[in-house]
Amino acid sequence: MTRRLGLAAGLLVAAVTLALPAVLDDSALAVYILLGLAAMVTVGVSLLMGYAGQVSLGQGAFYAIGAYTAALLALNGAPPLLGLVAAPVAAALSALLIGVPLLRLRGHHLAFATLAMQLILLSLAGQLDFTGGDIGLQGIPQFSVGAFEASSASVYAYLTWAGLALVMLITHNVITSRPGRALRALATSEIAAASAGIPVGRYKLVVFALSATFAGLAGGIYCFYTGYVAPGSFPVLISIQYIVMAVVGGLGTIWGAVAGAAAITLLVQGLDRLASLPGMPSYAPSVLSYAVYALVLIVVVLFMPHGLVPAVSRRLSRRRAEVPYR
Amino acid sequence: MLNVSGVSRSFGGVYAVRDVSLSVADGEVCGVIGPNGAGKSTLFNLITGHLAADHGRISFLGQRVDRLAPHRRARMGMSIVFQAARVFRGMTVEENVMVGAHGHTRAGFAAAALRLPRHQADEREIAAEAADALARVGLAEWADRPADLLPIGQQRALQLARALCARPRLLLLDEPASGLRAEERERLATLVEELRAAGLTILLIEHDVGFVTRLADRVVVLDLGRVIADGPPAEIRSDPAVLAAYLGQAS
Ligand SMILES: Nc1ncnc2c1ncn2[C@@H]1O[C@H](COP(=O)(O)OP(=O)(O)OP(=O)(O)O)[C@@H](O)[C@H]1O
Ligand SMILES: [Mg+2]
Repeated sequence: MTRRLGLAAGLLVAAVTLALPAVLDDSALAVYILLGLAAMVTVGVSLLMGYAGQVSLGQGAFYAIGAYTAALLALNGAPPLLGLVAAPVAAALSALLIGVPLLRLRGHHLAFATLAMQLILLSLAGQLDFTGGDIGLQGIPQFSVGAFEASSASVYAYLTWAGLALVMLITHNVITSRPGRALRALATSEIAAASAGIPVGRYKLVVFALSATFAGLAGGIYCFYTGYVAPGSFPVLISIQYIVMAVVGGLGTIWGAVAGAAAITLLVQGLDRLASLPGMPSYAPSVLSYAVYALVLIVVVLFMPHGLVPAVSRRLSRRRAEVPYR
Repeated sequence: MLNVSGVSRSFGGVYAVRDVSLSVADGEVCGVIGPNGAGKSTLFNLITGHLAADHGRISFLGQRVDRLAPHRRARMGMSIVFQAARVFRGMTVEENVMVGAHGHTRAGFAAAALRLPRHQADEREIAAEAADALARVGLAEWADRPADLLPIGQQRALQLARALCARPRLLLLDEPASGLRAEERERLATLVEELRAAGLTILLIEHDVGFVTRLADRVVVLDLGRVIADGPPAEIRSDPAVLAAYLGQAS
């Protein structure tokens, strides 16, 4: 019953996902692409925070690493496909490297350390010559595979959502398996997990790298889509945004990450429109977006502490349970 | 099987375990008793590696283990049931027990993500062993419940099932009967007897002296971090030092 319902819902979502790029205009398509990219990163955040219990306030750093990696490769004449593959790999390798010292920390110490990591990375990117300093890298070629070039936004939309589907599938497969159970176990008690033979440190490192991989892939797609990357594209606020998305959608659910990313992206878009109406002060956009994160977080924590998706699915299953079906 | 020799551990200059030596033979059930704060749980943590010893050596299955990480010792066959319930939240009872099989299965992230045959084979094996362990402790019909909603008695049983799922060579039980109702306690005693009959080596901490003397081949008594007696249950009951330190205090 639930299985068939889930399958039907999945097919419906897939159909809508595939149909949207054909009907949306370019500005709506931009929102659709950014939403998919945000969801990709947020699935990783949800895996890291919701399942494995590790906080990262610096996920934007891996998004940036992916974007800069693909951009630098493409600008130096490498085939774009190579750049797109290298983006998640570079993000994962950086996470493995940074994670060794960082993951010794726990809770808010880890949160601050990951935040600091992003700040350091951003200031490096703003200083170094080969990353283009504050101006960043421009004139990144279009994504292409062989003779096929991604000349329209709808191609990027398909690329993004295919990437998201892949990320969701990997996450689902991991969490419903031996390594996934180990991650969920160490989120509650590292001591009890180690007693079951789980190498806790190594597992934390791997999940950190996996979440970075997702962010890196999103960054790679982003750089080809926008055609430029700069430190300003990856503010600290973006990392906080991923956490808000994960929490709003429901930590520890895969669909929650997507729902949260959709809810926040659309909300922010709506507010941007509102803030740029004539007569609004120039600081309106930034004030509104900060206020919205804070407000949404407070409302969700107060009224839906487990997030959107669990709240809805619980309501559905309660309703179903009232019907005698056995 | 297990050999602890001259092991000490202090916290802020105060010894919790002081120059403790004991050995446990293959297939033996060894009880560990002592007043509150005697150092029993600390001794278990030293054996399983959750605490590092200041002095002394520990060997298990003929190999020195005192520098090994806890998960390595677990993989060699040490399974511990902690004094405080440590149930994994957000997971079902069955999943909690399945975690116990981690050490003797191998499907990693890649095998899981790609759903390789290795993953499928491991999952089948893990599920079968978890079902077996759940049945042994009487939790079979609770398998699909969220583990953190279980009453305390069942949480204990759950941890025992998880420990059994690890295919232990040495089982360490830290006050497994505390907080249990009479019939749960009886069920636990029966299970420990079964495990002993099957040849499992067990270290058992328990405050209930009747419970320990019924199950143990040998009893080690700790007081203020030191071993004050070590012998068969009947001798321990009449040992003057034990009566003074432990039984005397209880009456
Ligand atoms: N992590 C720690 N930090 C500081 N002191 C500790 C720590 N763990 C144990 N102790 C101290 O070491 C001594 C022995 O504690 P332990 O828990 O081993 O006793 P126990 O015999 O298991 O007692 P109980 O029967 O109450 O469980 C106590 O005085 C305790 O306060
Ligand atoms: Mg204790």
